[in-house]
Amino acid sequence: MNALERHRKLTAIWASEPGWRGWFSTVNHTDLGRMFLVTAFFFFIIGGLLAMLIRAQLATPQSAFAGPEIYNQIFTMHGTIMMFLFAIPTFEGLAIYLLPKLLGTRDLAFPRLTAYGFWCYVFGGTMLLVAMVLGIAPDGGWFMYPPLSGPLYSPGINTDFWLIGITFVEISAIAAAVEITVSILKYRAPGMSLDKMPIFAWYALITALMILTGFPPLILGSILLEVERAFGLPFFQAELGGDSLLWQHLFWLFGHPEVYIIFLPAAGVISTVLPVMCRTTLLGYGWIVAAAVSLAFLSFGLWVHHMFTTGIPHMGLAFFSAASTLVAVPTGVQIFAWIGTIWKGRPELRLPMLHILGFFATFVIGGLTGVMVAVVPFDWQAHDTAFITAHLHYVLFGGFVFPIFAGVYYWLPHFTGRRRFFHLGELAFALVFIGFHVTFLAMHWVGLLGQRRRIPTYAPEDGWTAINLISSVGSFVLAIGIGMILIDVILHALTAARGRRNPWQAGTLEWAMITPPPAYNFASLPHVTSREPLADTPDLAVQLARGEGYLATPRHGWRETLTVDVASGRPDMHVLYPTNTRLPIIMSAVTGLFFLSLLLKFYWTVPLAVAGVAYLAWRWVWVLGRKEDLDALPVGHGITLPNAAMTDHSPGWWGTVFLLTANATFFGSLLFGFAFLWTVAPGWPPPAWFVASPVELGFGILGAALGCFAIGHAIVVNRRNGSPLPGLVLTLAGALAVAVACAAMMARTPSPEAHAYGATLFVLGSYGLFHAVLGALMASFLIARVLHGFTSSMRRAEFTIVGLWVGYLSVVGTLVLLAGHLPGLAS
Amino acid sequence: MTDLIRILIAPLVWLAAFSAIYGLHGLICGHGIEGAALGLPMPRLLLIMAYTVAVLLQAILLAALYHPRLASSSNFVSFVSHATGWTGLVATGWSLLPVVMTSYCT
Repeated sequence: MNALERHRKLTAIWASEPGWRGWFSTVNHTDLGRMFLVTAFFFFIIGGLLAMLIRAQLATPQSAFAGPEIYNQIFTMHGTIMMFLFAIPTFEGLAIYLLPKLLGTRDLAFPRLTAYGFWCYVFGGTMLLVAMVLGIAPDGGWFMYPPLSGPLYSPGINTDFWLIGITFVEISAIAAAVEITVSILKYRAPGMSLDKMPIFAWYALITALMILTGFPPLILGSILLEVERAFGLPFFQAELGGDSLLWQHLFWLFGHPEVYIIFLPAAGVISTVLPVMCRTTLLGYGWIVAAAVSLAFLSFGLWVHHMFTTGIPHMGLAFFSAASTLVAVPTGVQIFAWIGTIWKGRPELRLPMLHILGFFATFVIGGLTGVMVAVVPFDWQAHDTAFITAHLHYVLFGGFVFPIFAGVYYWLPHFTGRRRFFHLGELAFALVFIGFHVTFLAMHWVGLLGQRRRIPTYAPEDGWTAINLISSVGSFVLAIGIGMILIDVILHALTAARGRRNPWQAGTLEWAMITPPPAYNFASLPHVTSREPLADTPDLAVQLARGEGYLATPRHGWRETLTVDVASGRPDMHVLYPTNTRLPIIMSAVTGLFFLSLLLKFYWTVPLAVAGVAYLAWRWVWVLGRKEDLDALPVGHGITLPNAAMTDHSPGWWGTVFLLTANATFFGSLLFGFAFLWTVAPGWPPPAWFVASPVELGFGILGAALGCFAIGHAIVVNRRNGSPLPGLVLTLAGALAVAVACAAMMARTPSPEAHAYGATLFVLGSYGLFHAVLGALMASFLIARVLHGFTSSMRRAEFTIVGLWVGYLSVVGTLVLLAGHLPGLAS
Repeated sequence: MTDLIRILIAPLVWLAAFSAIYGLHGLICGHGIEGAALGLPMPRLLLIMAYTVAVLLQAILLAALYHPRLASSSNFVSFVSHATGWTGLVATGWSLLPVVMTSYCT
């Protein structure tokens, strides 16, 4: 088979549907990565326009441009859009587009999940935009502190749009994080051991793990606040045993790592692009990986530094102040490694490099002011002033937007297959750089003079007029610069001349393909022996196109790839991907119906939506699999591999591990909230304790143990070619027993509206009940699969996946019941 | 997976220790624990004991990461796990140092 014939065959197998219909059924990572990026930049423009409105309002004292109600919506939506609808989705889009190409494979681990996440993002973001157009957008600030955002002080629907819309969008982030984590760990080119992974993959892996552990506290907080607003369960009302500080803890448990979730992928872009711009290799690869890991962990120990003025005891403040100063060390390691890379190379001042230099100047200033506000006495002075607004923009614009612009210009020839013809970009960079610094240096200044954040106006005698005017002029220069970048990119995509492959002479694998990339990425998969395979083998792209790699011969119309051992990069599984389908968009629409029903309080459609999601999830998995065993398949180079469905640790198992990691973080946050209220909140002890029942407790714990034992038994029996049905039926019975025990606990909980104790027990019970029903559903699914012949002693992957869920149910079900019953038993 | 655990374990233990000692501090202040032992107020003693355990744990972990029987066969993973091991130890020593230096419930 020659290269052209191979290209045609692979394209027929991998291509999306032609035309705009393909947008709705594509599961291809290249399509979805582009769609993510275009949508994220659309939201960036909206967020930017809102920023212009803010600066127009503040340009003059006593401005009548917007009233306080509208102004509150403007700044809330600006922050919300930039954080949730631009920054995180841009990372997701870039990672989704790039990772399989950088890692030398054909797609991400779960293509339909990529599409589902994208549509959840689009629908959730649209909900927020519709609210803005209707003039009922969220107006409580992007961190939505209660009691201001509670039912008493924000009675309208505005806050609900935020709580429900953002939770909907976060499904997208969690989906992408699971996808990215499993893809990086398992879906790499043969030979690509951990030390040969492209540095961007390390950053993306760390970021994805941070999303999995950072987002659940916010999801929990959003659910609790929405439940308080909709049903009156008083988690954040001090007079009823709640505490508004609990929201701050949950929010900033997410919010501070969020800063690094935004920065780390951008650092990945810098670490990838900078060496190419300097015609050298990255200095201190191992140090950078260690620094990024350290930074990720340390960032989870900083959340209270956003709460220095809340009256926390000095020792608590000192813990977080110390941790906050410490975080400068791994950041510094990365900065010095980049400076060293510039030093050892021959820097070329091409457009991506200009943005990298812009990043250095801006981010370092943001980092230094960060160390200033990490020091408690300074923070007490600067807290909630424009100084903080300026600091966070230096960190986020410097640490994310400049690197992303560098990345956009670096990979633009890859996205389009063209080379830049118009050269607006250089002038645009100058305007962005100057405009940004004029805007935000002035904002530091006016903040130190006492201007508060989020004020709609000020008096002429405050003495801030000239500085605000300078800041506003700067912001409009910045906006013109960004507008010119967008025009430059659009002109490039529409009119530029065809470019040559690998225009930067880079060494990473994404350039070892034709551009724009074909749907299948690589005609055959490379064997990797170094971090820069293209530098070692400049004609690698031709070799792969000729079919000299793995999986070179298309067969049976399959979308095939292979996975590798996490550490060594040794091939270990053969994977068959699902093909184009509209299931993800339908499922995200039904998921949207669930959220919309909650928002509009059409509670009768909620069960319909839940049933719809359950049905679609069932169908999602049902259409996979086969009724006959598949022998080990040759993948090239004399290697044969078992199909993933014939293994215990299939990609689905890996995905479940990381999804459960996020789930466990959610549950841990809930237990933290319970302990926090019990220990710190005023109004405790509650008026009535839950009356413990040894019978209910024992029944539930026995059910949990039975489920865990029975699924283990079913796995073993199935592997030995016996019938797993008895074990699965017992698993179902165990899950139902946990469900009954949790439901009984919820039914007998002291009035959830009367005190936070009852409210928290009710939510704990709901969590246990939800997982018990989920466990029962999964056991039923597996029984149906066995009865329909989809499993055998070889086709066993689904058993271990259900095993993980049932094991998790056993642990959390037991903990939920103990949390409810033990205090009563003890008293 | 074992290599990943080698890289992540020390910062993870720091995170657990940091959260646990912050939680212990909350419990001490929330429940008004009083009394004295070994010439120190009970709250301070409890916090110092927890701090010492955390630092010792990190030191043992670091030693284990250097031990030939437990070290990774990959030089790269060994290097990164040693670096994150030191991070865990230094972070524990530095970020929890306030237990011996500042007032605890004011």
